[in-house]
Amino acid sequence: MSGWLDGNFVSVVDGVAFGLLLFTIAVGLSLVFGMMDVLNLAHGTLYLAGAYVAYALSDGSMSGLLLALLAGVLVGTMGGAALTFLTQPLARRGHLDQAVLTLGITFIVADLLAASFGGDVLPTDPPTALRGTVGLLGHSYPVYRLVFIAVAAGLALLVYLVFERSSLGALVRATVADRDMVRALGVDVRKVLYGVFASGAALATVGGVLGAPILGPGPGVDETVLVLSLVVVVVGGLGSVRGALAGALLIGQVQTLGVALLPEYAPFLLFGTMLIVLVVRPHGLVASAVRA
Amino acid sequence: MAGRFRPVGLVAASTALLLTTACGGASLGTGEDQQSGPVKIGLLVPQSGTYKALGDDMKQGFELYVAQHGGKLGGREVEIVVADEGETADSGKAAAEKLVKQDRVLAVSGVVSSATINGVKDLFETGKVPLVGSNASPTTLTGTKYIWRTSYVNDEPGKALGKHVAERAGGPVFLIAAGYQAGKDEVEGFKSTFLPAGGTIAGEEVYTPFPGTKNFQPYLAQIEKSGAKAVFCFYAGGAAVDFVKQYRDFGLAGKIPLYAPGFLTEGGVLKGQGDAANGILTALNYSADLDNPANKQFAPAYTAAHGTAPTTYAMASWDAAQVLDKAIKAAGSTVTSASVNEAIARVGDIDSPRGTWRFNSGGTPVQPWYLREVKQGANTVSSELGRLGG
Repeated sequence: MSGWLDGNFVSVVDGVAFGLLLFTIAVGLSLVFGMMDVLNLAHGTLYLAGAYVAYALSDGSMSGLLLALLAGVLVGTMGGAALTFLTQPLARRGHLDQAVLTLGITFIVADLLAASFGGDVLPTDPPTALRGTVGLLGHSYPVYRLVFIAVAAGLALLVYLVFERSSLGALVRATVADRDMVRALGVDVRKVLYGVFASGAALATVGGVLGAPILGPGPGVDETVLVLSLVVVVVGGLGSVRGALAGALLIGQVQTLGVALLPEYAPFLLFGTMLIVLVVRPHGLVASAVRA
Repeated sequence: MAGRFRPVGLVAASTALLLTTACGGASLGTGEDQQSGPVKIGLLVPQSGTYKALGDDMKQGFELYVAQHGGKLGGREVEIVVADEGETADSGKAAAEKLVKQDRVLAVSGVVSSATINGVKDLFETGKVPLVGSNASPTTLTGTKYIWRTSYVNDEPGKALGKHVAERAGGPVFLIAAGYQAGKDEVEGFKSTFLPAGGTIAGEEVYTPFPGTKNFQPYLAQIEKSGAKAVFCFYAGGAAVDFVKQYRDFGLAGKIPLYAPGFLTEGGVLKGQGDAANGILTALNYSADLDNPANKQFAPAYTAAHGTAPTTYAMASWDAAQVLDKAIKAAGSTVTSASVNEAIARVGDIDSPRGTWRFNSGGTPVQPWYLREVKQGANTVSSELGRLGG
């Protein structure tokens, strides 16, 4: 390995881990906004709820993690359904009203979570079997983050297959393109709407459960995650799974390799990248075929 | 358009509200003698938000001293009025105004954040009410007559550590801190004693974006690459937990010694760090295992009451109550805010759980500092680093 790559190898790997975490979180935001035209600012709150679920159920065992994942899916699905129900009446009133409503929800939920879990950042340990470090070409790297990369890559593939390669995904895209036509074919459009929202939200809470050992739950984490997700969606391009993946992997590298190489510019790297991408490609890296 | 949002009405209503609160209690009633009945002491600590845990520590330390002295300070019954400092300078200032102007307290203790103490400086100086602060103490706060601190000045933990690290490191030291005022204060304090003692810095000092940094991996990679023989860092709160755990996760713990101001491993964060914190060396003015008569009176009682070892925040608040105790007693027959403040200036040596200390002319302690090592999830004193503050 060349000297440069050897010196920055861990940062590159960690950028992949961080990027895949961002993808798991942001893809739901992208689909809901890009396909359903609903701006959901409570998306970071879904991550936070998932991270608290992981904290509450983590007991060092693998079964604890699996239980947390199940609970996370449940919380996310219900949260997504509730958000669909609440934002439905605002569908025709534009993004500003949706933003105000969902932002209000984030404040309420954040206060409720702080009241039940306190104001500290709660460190959440991975299962005992996945703790410790492993040698990676002469560097140490946390085992859990490697496992996370594998699991998140699997999730990304699954999401891609469902939304871009299956008949279900085709139905969703058709609903976005021509709602009346789909209705005429006898499909209940509301079910499609609820389905997309619920699965997008469940991805965010699952991201929270899996991401808790990397980005633990605490006050303010919901905002951090929301801002990162919005940047990923804008950089990647709205409503496209491939775009979300491209954007997330890019931002992941910017936040790790970029920071390692240019620590003095750390505060500006994130938005600087967004600016450059938007100047070159105003619709993001992968413009959605549906909306372009 | 019923139910529509009317900004004009809202602005009018909030302006009216602001005006009424601003005019309320405009008369200062602090000069009056509090000869009969209990004396009122204000506790300005966060009861909500990010710093709540810190505020609880301080409140518990102060209340413990009062409880151990029969609910009295200086022989007078005490009524403690707690006001929520919140998270920002604005919320802190509003709470301080309430204590001084509405509750008309004799004196105030507490204050977590540097932003708050800067914001309320004029209120106490012009209102002539003593503030015996027990935490916040920015380096920029000087030339006050009514503001005292029983904690330390922000750059002192770094100062206390510099010479020791220069002698022990055996090579260049990497400096990394959270990118806000306190982080810069600590690093400057460290350098002020580290460089004259012959210490060398590995590469450039790094300030990580605060509060945004959650993933410290890129910085840890830099530390490894720099060839540093030791690391000096400043982090507190959630960032302290993240930094320490990742320092261990990426294989630096045990390889490169980690030095820091005591906040890195103080109180609640230590529980969060678990065994990742073992072996970390910190400088602070207190450790719960110190062996002296005052600490024997304080630490076991605190642990029994709250199920956890006391922190420096609780200790400094216990001392703030002790300072007020002595000052109210010394004020004698005329207990007013002004007479108590004069008595604080003459209070002399304080027999504290940290060892003996006294106020310097700037209103902050001349006190001993200790090097502590985390062993089995607890801070333990390993040596004295000398006295600072004179």
